[in-house]
Amino acid sequence: MSTYWPWWAGAIGLALVTINHTLITDRSLGVSAAWDRVVHWRRERQLERMDEEFTDDQALAEALAAATAEHFGTDASAVPQEPCGKSQPLEADTEPAASERPSATSLRPAPLVTQAALLMSIFLGGFIAAVTSGRFHLRHDMGPGFRNLVTANPTTMIAVLFVGGVLVGFGTRLAGGCSSGHGLSGCGRLRPVSIVATAVFFGTAVAVSFLLWKVI
Amino acid sequence: MRTRGAILLATVITGLALGYTVTNIGFGDYAELNRMFTFQDLRMFLSFAGAVVIIVCAFALLRVRRTPGRIHAGVIPGAVLFGTGWAISGGCPAIPIIQVASGYLPALITILGVIVGIRLCRWANARYFHLDRGSCGL
Repeated sequence: MSTYWPWWAGAIGLALVTINHTLITDRSLGVSAAWDRVVHWRRERQLERMDEEFTDDQALAEALAAATAEHFGTDASAVPQEPCGKSQPLEADTEPAASERPSATSLRPAPLVTQAALLMSIFLGGFIAAVTSGRFHLRHDMGPGFRNLVTANPTTMIAVLFVGGVLVGFGTRLAGGCSSGHGLSGCGRLRPVSIVATAVFFGTAVAVSFLLWKVI
Repeated sequence: MRTRGAILLATVITGLALGYTVTNIGFGDYAELNRMFTFQDLRMFLSFAGAVVIIVCAFALLRVRRTPGRIHAGVIPGAVLFGTGWAISGGCPAIPIIQVASGYLPALITILGVIVGIRLCRWANARYFHLDRGSCGL
């Protein structure tokens, strides 16, 4: 088993991935956003089709309004007064929030298939790394660290992983991003919301990890 | 220039590189992760923080557009839930994928949990919260 990369190699690697992605695709990298769209692929597919069909702006605006109502609930008054991003993409040229998307081609989010490809290629990249470093072996537990710190009982392990996964899925979507979207892309752009989110999720993870290590 | 095919190809390269890098840093290893969060080993923390510093500098030099984001009511509760989930399961949304890719089969359960959580969030937001949560990109 080879050792992990030194910190500077990891930092350069993560930075290169994020910078390249941002420059080439003109979009910021976000794994949880990709998950969100892939998980809701039926609805997203429908939106994509509608998007292709509507050539005139009015029809598109109406469709987006309907989608927004579906997204935020049917109570129209509950929609925030200053929606950003998806809610008002038509005002892209005047709205600073949408200045990220200057050209017509990148007005829409990356196609669904692209995001599914992102998740699959993360798997493949991880697999290549694990095999080439000699770290790959199939196992039915989460390793000695998990066994010592969390639980050695397989049933409890499944429950903990499931609950943890639900918290991760729910939390990242509620906060609007994860460690790649808020942590790398967002903090890299010095977005206040990302810095707050990163500080809070990292701080919470530190507190819970100390509890697991010292107390439980 | 930025056709669908080009974006697809670029994203696949990003995914491969991200999976490869994150696995080699050791984010899929629960013991390493706990050592990072308890500051017993600063290696992974420095990888992350170092990456952020490099990205900040590069984006400033290249004048990459800032993307403003509102700090809405969901950010802090969401981040607290995410931090808790990350510490106990060892997974941020990309990590369980590379854990399975490294042979940790139980991480499939984490992925299942992530999918349930994401669906639950969209449902709960439409029904109760009505937040414009924005998105971290894509």
